[in-house]
Amino acid sequence: MEPVLSVRGLTVTFGSFTAVEDVSFDIHAGQTLAVVGESGSGKSVTALSIMRLVELGTRGKIERGEILFRAPDGEMIDLVQQPEGEMRAIRGNQISMIFQEPLTSLNPVYSVGDQVAEAVILHQGLDKEAANERVLEMFRLVRIPEAEKRMVQFPHEMSGGMRQRVMIAMALSCDPKVLIADEPTTALDVTIQAQILGLMRDLREQTGAAVLIITHDMGVVAEVADDVVVMNRANVVERGPVTQIFEAATEPYTRALLASVPRLGSMAGRDEPAPFDLVEYQP
Amino acid sequence: MKQIAARIAWSAGLILAVIVMCFSLIHLAPGDVAIVIAGDSGAGDPEVIAEIREDLGLDDPFLVQLGGYVGDVVQGDLGTSYRFNEPVTDLIVTRLWPTFLLVGTAVSFAIVIGVLVGVFTARRPESPISHGVTVFSLTGYSMPVFWTGLLLIIMFASNVQWFPVSGMRDVRLDGNWLEEWVDIAHHLVLPSITLGVIYLAQYSRLSRASMLEVLQSDYVRTARAKGLTERRVVYKHALRNAVIPVVTVAGLQFGQMLSGALLVETVFNWPGLGRLAADSVFQRDAPVLLGILILSSTLVVIINILTDVVYRLIDPRIRVGAATK
Amino acid sequence: MTVPVTPVSPEQGDLGPPGRQALRLFIRNKAAVFGLILLVAIVFMTLFGSFFYDQDPSRIIARPLQGPGEGDAPAFGTDYLGRDVLAGVVNGGSTSLTVALVAVLLVAVIGVSIGAVSGYYGGWIDVALMRVTEMFQVLPALLFAMVIVALFEPSTRSVSVAIGLASWPQTARLTRAEFLRLKNLEFVKAARASGASDFRIIWGVIFPNALPPLIVSITLIMGAAILFESGLAFLGLGDPNSQSWGLMIGLSRQTFLNGWWTVTFPGMAIFATVLSFSLIGDGLQDAFNPKLRGR
Repeated sequence: MEPVLSVRGLTVTFGSFTAVEDVSFDIHAGQTLAVVGESGSGKSVTALSIMRLVELGTRGKIERGEILFRAPDGEMIDLVQQPEGEMRAIRGNQISMIFQEPLTSLNPVYSVGDQVAEAVILHQGLDKEAANERVLEMFRLVRIPEAEKRMVQFPHEMSGGMRQRVMIAMALSCDPKVLIADEPTTALDVTIQAQILGLMRDLREQTGAAVLIITHDMGVVAEVADDVVVMNRANVVERGPVTQIFEAATEPYTRALLASVPRLGSMAGRDEPAPFDLVEYQP
Repeated sequence: MKQIAARIAWSAGLILAVIVMCFSLIHLAPGDVAIVIAGDSGAGDPEVIAEIREDLGLDDPFLVQLGGYVGDVVQGDLGTSYRFNEPVTDLIVTRLWPTFLLVGTAVSFAIVIGVLVGVFTARRPESPISHGVTVFSLTGYSMPVFWTGLLLIIMFASNVQWFPVSGMRDVRLDGNWLEEWVDIAHHLVLPSITLGVIYLAQYSRLSRASMLEVLQSDYVRTARAKGLTERRVVYKHALRNAVIPVVTVAGLQFGQMLSGALLVETVFNWPGLGRLAADSVFQRDAPVLLGILILSSTLVVIINILTDVVYRLIDPRIRVGAATK
Repeated sequence: MTVPVTPVSPEQGDLGPPGRQALRLFIRNKAAVFGLILLVAIVFMTLFGSFFYDQDPSRIIARPLQGPGEGDAPAFGTDYLGRDVLAGVVNGGSTSLTVALVAVLLVAVIGVSIGAVSGYYGGWIDVALMRVTEMFQVLPALLFAMVIVALFEPSTRSVSVAIGLASWPQTARLTRAEFLRLKNLEFVKAARASGASDFRIIWGVIFPNALPPLIVSITLIMGAAILFESGLAFLGLGDPNSQSWGLMIGLSRQTFLNGWWTVTFPGMAIFATVLSFSLIGDGLQDAFNPKLRGR
């Protein structure tokens, strides 16, 4: 099957620093690809490059590579070559993104309903009233209780989990083909994390969108991913289906990442609580 | 709403305290007003002086005088000017709106242009103009306002005669209301630039700093990720957050602006409160001075409350607790 | 962005290593060093200028209102009476600088004491002191100072006191805020636990750590006090027996259209002095908070 999004040989630099080097991967409709790595490995820069936001607001530059995206008419277009105007029509519409910190990612001075409606009005040309209908529908879809009441609230009046639901509603409001989630659960409590991941899995099935999830947490990978790309220091070090990565990772770095997640039962046989064993990894 | 009401009640107490302090200061200071008044007409005749003291109740115990004064002020009566022999309230009211016009124009000019400069330079942080803002800000702040005014007069009212040297209207003009307004606007240009440029300098720098911070924020990234145009990202999402500190600072500086206006009015012979105050100081016209002190403090308090209200309107996060300086 | 607060224990000396780092940053800041040089030059001119330019500023030396280079006029021309403007500029700084210095000392003493006590003790003391502060804060400073000066006859002393009385609230609020921030930090608790008196905790433990922002603020207030003094002198509320830049401009108000030099040069002197304090204050601010540079 043809991928929806295909990144080929992507290289991104910040001045003399190479943040992403020769990274390639494919994402298919209805599938979830997890990009895993430590902070600074280049995974977030990869995500921002797909949105072409790395050149807006940061000083990054896409040096080489292609980001091929299957447009609704079936043609593959290279996002790297698209003019800014074309990219704006794609951003938030066909490819959308949610971020790590839902509190700071929402504008504090506008109501959450207005912020979601803005995307709908922009991309679907709906009037204010129809857009609000759509927002209500989206809020229900992401299971925000009392959606009418919530729409007029401001971000600071909501809990972290609710805010992330708002972000998801905003991202999905225009039926995107690709959803990029950059550490979507890192800032949330553990129980809320599970709810948000469950929600994302359900929504992927309902909408058929391709999901690119960026995370450092192997637990999240196990929960949602079909395929995994492991990044370390700007490079892809290992890739494969999630089962293969978990059962038979070949790269020492991947094994080190896996070992960094505490396992249930790893303390068995010890009388007292003790620190987890340190992960040994020498690059 | 409740907080605002409490704030107003507390402010009334504050103003009362200011009245008591200023009244005591003026009345316990050395010097006899009766002699000052008599100096003009009675030429120091002791009988005349005694009569004046009697008239003004200056021989009453201090607390009686204070009580009487506070009672009058509450009813809007600020006493009678020694010099003009007119009710102070009337004198002040006729001088109030020129000052309002001057300060209002200056501050609007400073905020609007300052924010625009701030936005423009924050989007090009490495440009020479952006570095220029810091220099301009320190320069503007360091210039004595009366000197700026005199220099502007030399340059634009004397060397090239684009604007009038002083005053608020041309007495020779006999036109309809529109012509009168154009005339006042023409007279207003130099004084309001003189006063506004200090604040323009400060607000450009302040809004550049806050805009730089806001443009790095996550919600601006979100707005871009939605596919909004840069124009909409900057002017809808970033600007409203970036003006919050500017509005706050501008509100708190109102008292300082009145002080600046006093000097500017003196330079340009602008018929406002500041000129009245400066004249009254030299004529030792205590009731007028007291009235102006009280009125201007009241204005400062009112502007502080209004700033608070505006701040709440812009920033929905401020719902709990009164935002104080 | 949260800036990590690293409390400096007073045992590390007055400013300790952060002080040295600030000094290094300050020296590297070209604008700030320029400000410092400018200030030194102005102070030098004020103190010793008359040795190099020995001319009595109050003496009539030539025809009035002659511009620089006209006839027998001195370098900066003559004023409306025929006095030497350059001599006035050279000698006019002493009043401004003296008044500003005394006023700022007054501001520092009143403001820091009230702010420290208010912030440290809290409770009703804080409420009472802050209400008094607010009372002084709503009075437009120049107007208030004018009234004080007029009531007690203009003199160097009354002008200094008036500026001091009108300017301290800002310092009080800043000191209070710093004390509120610092008083619950660990090293203060430790000092309290070791039985130090309130006086020792306020002045020996908290105050040294509150110094950096206070130094910045006091530097900027010094510039503001110069502006303040020149404004009062311009209005005719300075010491009538002294030479002052503001007074020179004020006296030339009726005639300046016939002689731009009579107001331009004294004004430049005021501007340069205030600018030097602004640059130094700005440089200190950057040096103490390197993260805010360029803002």
